[in-house]
Amino acid sequence: MKDRIGSALYASEVSKIVDGPDGRLTILERVSLEVERGDSLAIVGASGSGKTTLLGLLAGLDRPSTGSIALAGERLDALDEEARARLRRSRVGFVFQSFHLLPALNAEENVMLPLELDGRDDARERAADALARVGLGARRHHYPAQLSGGEQQRVALARAFVHGPDILFADEPTGNLDQRTGAGIGDLLFALNREHATTLVLVTHDATLAARCARSLRLREGKIDETAA
Amino acid sequence: MRPLVFAARSLRREFRHAELATLAMALVLAVAAMAAVATLAARVERALVASAAELIGGDLALGAGHALPAELAQEAQRRGLATNRLAEFPSVLFANERSQLCDVRASDAAFPLRGALSVRGADGVEHAAHAPPSGSIYADHAALVALGVAVGANVQLGGRDLVVAGEIAKSPDSGNLFRIAPRVIMNLGDAEAGGLLGAGSRAGHRLLVAGDTDAVAAFAAWARPNLPSGARITTVEDAQQNLRNAFERGESFLRLAALLAALLSGVAIALGAQRFARRKTEEVALLRCLGARRGEILAALLLELALLAVPACVVGLALGLGLQQLVLELASGLLPGAPPRLPWGPPLAALAVGVAVLFGFALPPLLRLRDVEPLRVFRRDLAARVRRFDVLYLLPVAVGALLVLYGAGNARLAGTLAIGFAAVALATFVLGLVLLWLVRRLATRLRGALRFGLANLARRRALTLLQTGALALSLTALAVLGVIGPSLLERWRADLPADTPNWFAINLQPEQQDALRERLHALGASNMNLLPLAAGKLVAINGHAPQPAEKSDRRAADFIEGEVRVSWSERLPEANRIVQGRWFEGAPAKPSISVEQVWVDLFGLKLGDTLTLRFGDREIVAEVTSLRKVEWDSFRANFFLMLDPADGEQLPHSMVASFHLGGDGAAPLAALSRDFPNLSLIDLNAVLDRIRDIIGRVTGAASWVLGFSLVAGVLVLLAALAATADERRFEAALLRTLGAHGRQLATAVLAEFGTLGLLAGGVAVVAAAVLGSALAGGVFKLEGYTPPLGPLALLVAAAAALVALAGWAGTRRIARASPMAVLRRA
Repeated sequence: MKDRIGSALYASEVSKIVDGPDGRLTILERVSLEVERGDSLAIVGASGSGKTTLLGLLAGLDRPSTGSIALAGERLDALDEEARARLRRSRVGFVFQSFHLLPALNAEENVMLPLELDGRDDARERAADALARVGLGARRHHYPAQLSGGEQQRVALARAFVHGPDILFADEPTGNLDQRTGAGIGDLLFALNREHATTLVLVTHDATLAARCARSLRLREGKIDETAA
Repeated sequence: MRPLVFAARSLRREFRHAELATLAMALVLAVAAMAAVATLAARVERALVASAAELIGGDLALGAGHALPAELAQEAQRRGLATNRLAEFPSVLFANERSQLCDVRASDAAFPLRGALSVRGADGVEHAAHAPPSGSIYADHAALVALGVAVGANVQLGGRDLVVAGEIAKSPDSGNLFRIAPRVIMNLGDAEAGGLLGAGSRAGHRLLVAGDTDAVAAFAAWARPNLPSGARITTVEDAQQNLRNAFERGESFLRLAALLAALLSGVAIALGAQRFARRKTEEVALLRCLGARRGEILAALLLELALLAVPACVVGLALGLGLQQLVLELASGLLPGAPPRLPWGPPLAALAVGVAVLFGFALPPLLRLRDVEPLRVFRRDLAARVRRFDVLYLLPVAVGALLVLYGAGNARLAGTLAIGFAAVALATFVLGLVLLWLVRRLATRLRGALRFGLANLARRRALTLLQTGALALSLTALAVLGVIGPSLLERWRADLPADTPNWFAINLQPEQQDALRERLHALGASNMNLLPLAAGKLVAINGHAPQPAEKSDRRAADFIEGEVRVSWSERLPEANRIVQGRWFEGAPAKPSISVEQVWVDLFGLKLGDTLTLRFGDREIVAEVTSLRKVEWDSFRANFFLMLDPADGEQLPHSMVASFHLGGDGAAPLAALSRDFPNLSLIDLNAVLDRIRDIIGRVTGAASWVLGFSLVAGVLVLLAALAATADERRFEAALLRTLGAHGRQLATAVLAEFGTLGLLAGGVAVVAAAVLGSALAGGVFKLEGYTPPLGPLALLVAAAAALVALAGWAGTRRIARASPMAVLRRA
């Protein structure tokens, strides 16, 4: 594993097993993958194939039952939840299907959040820049409820990139948007990704979006589908 | 569908949800508060009323400010009734260079006619007793402790040396809640021989009668027309009524405090029920979709609520009854004899209140579930039809109003209270809005977790205001009782000048006054004031005999039936101010009198009216020539009625002295008491300390009940927390995902709830300060009173800490939410 630590993301023989009412249930089975810095990977598969579970494990939101993961050069299994939070705060960005903006905060404050959690002083200026970059400079004082779905996802993109993460995890970023808006968000996502030279891991059902990634990985019943192209 | 089975299964599964636990807790609290207060009140009242015969000491009492003629007792004995003659007066007991003001009862050997007196001898053995033989007294534990003596010791009373023959263990009327001083029982003959009952003494004389009910009634009928002037008959029924009246005010305060707890519990229940209904919406839609009828669904919901209510009510009842039993045990001295059996009425009423609160506040959101469309199964965004006005919203209002009416006991007080509650609620709302606006402004200047916490407050505005209101109400009550009240009393006492009279000497004969004045001067007494005192009876006002029954104010009736005390002076005494008319100059052509404002108000007197007063066999018709106002808190001897000196001097009288004596006056006054054996000395400091002690105890007891309302206020907070738990869990998970660490999440929670506590505490302090200032000006007549800012600030800090702690405890589990929840929620 040591020689792989230089890659942006490395997973080795990762499994996730949970206890259900009818005994143990294997959600992911011996998944291994590697993503180089600046690379982009799409994870695709049917519902229930384990995509979201894998994304959560790769981003350090959950711990695998077996196997190990290294994120931005750090072994996740060696870190406790607090340390993983610290890693996410400085190195990771997220985009969600349902945008997940905090309703109590306005657009600018939502974007400031990762910077503030990291204790940076220039949060407001950088958030304003990031919002201007996604075309919402004029709406930075609006609350999520006052924004359309597409606009909310653009705020979420600004939040994801504002602290210059090494790696971005996106979970169905266009899943809740109509086709046209979704395409616009896709364009913006890849443009920002290029600009920031960020590594991108994307879970999606959207074949077009998946095709824009350098690589694609298909899951079937918790295992990597070797038959896929 | 079998509603009962379905309800039982649902309850089993759903009890772990916070809202049902909140509902149950609120119900427990409401029932416990009502049960404790109502049961305790009923038992104390019953005990007092049942012991009325013991309290008056017989089946009938004849009382007067002077010795009663012997014919009365002889007539009673002729009718086969037992009699007991006694006199009661305050006097100071001296021993070991110490002094103690005592309530002295001087009695013949027949005492007690009703109830039992038991005393503990030097051997510590308790035995039944009658009034002590000549040369000895019985004293209660408090008196012995204060003087540092034991049974067998010598003490001085009224200038005589007496032996303490026993410690009073139990005495009829020992349950007098408002008795100021320790009790001493002495022989009537000793008191008479010592001059303690001489003319002008303030002793109350009583003839007690007991025996066959018909004979007592016949004797009462005979005695009424034969009563000497100033004498009064008290029956057991009168005593019961008086006790009830005295008791009712205290009780209604406690009931209102319990009511506040019940109403706040209602708010918590409403919040819990709303959350419960929201959670049930999907289930109801599905059941409707699968063909369940509305009636069946409603029945299942109501049954689930009832299944929850039964154990909660039982637990609440047990808690309340246990608590009142504890209070009874702790305050056993409060009640005469053993406490009466547990009554059924109040606990049942508490249960009824619990059920009313539960259904009154929980039904509206549950009944709204009738409107859930089966189509919601397919379209989750299909909200229940929003009605602009739903008659159901009136249900909690109606239940609340009924409870206020029940708690207040009468419609007028209920109306005042309802308006009061509404005013406080409105003030809280407005003040809360302003503070929230400030919080919002402040939040934008803060960073990260702090800002997030404060922004949460501003976002859930309605809930924030509700929580603030509930907490503020209970905190206001606590602040008024715990901080403002004592500070007002303290300030009032501090406002008294340093040489405010602290001793009264009564029962002094006119020829002794110069000698006493000299002695007091030699002892260093200051601010000395000597006034004559004549006791008489009010016969007529403007020629018409006043009727006690026509007077609604009990004091007026007392003045008409009882004794009136009159004084006179060449000059207008200090602390008196003429409001109308002029003070006496020289010897007037006909008797003139000056009347104090209290009498002016009670009897509607004006200048030129006449008062006919009888002193012994002498009658004086005096014209009202001036109206006065007295500063009663000057602690000087003051009188409602003052005659012109020329006519006053003609009356048989004694003297009253008031003076200030620094340090511990007990030792020099003991010598004084020996030289003036007829003199009764009253230590006002001891009286004031005792009053403060009683106030302290009463407020202490009331604080416990107010504690219930504070818990209820916190419960509203927790209910509101439960109502937003899902949202909070998700937000915590999102912040975790974005890399927030535990400390940052804790900061956000503490900022949010600490600020909420500050808001509630702030509103409460403003309300309490306003009330305090109003009381200071209106009741205590204190100028420039500043509420004690230190303790109030402490209260705000404590409130903030309490609420922050409750919030933190309530959200601790939430903050540990797995960040994976963010990905799982689409």
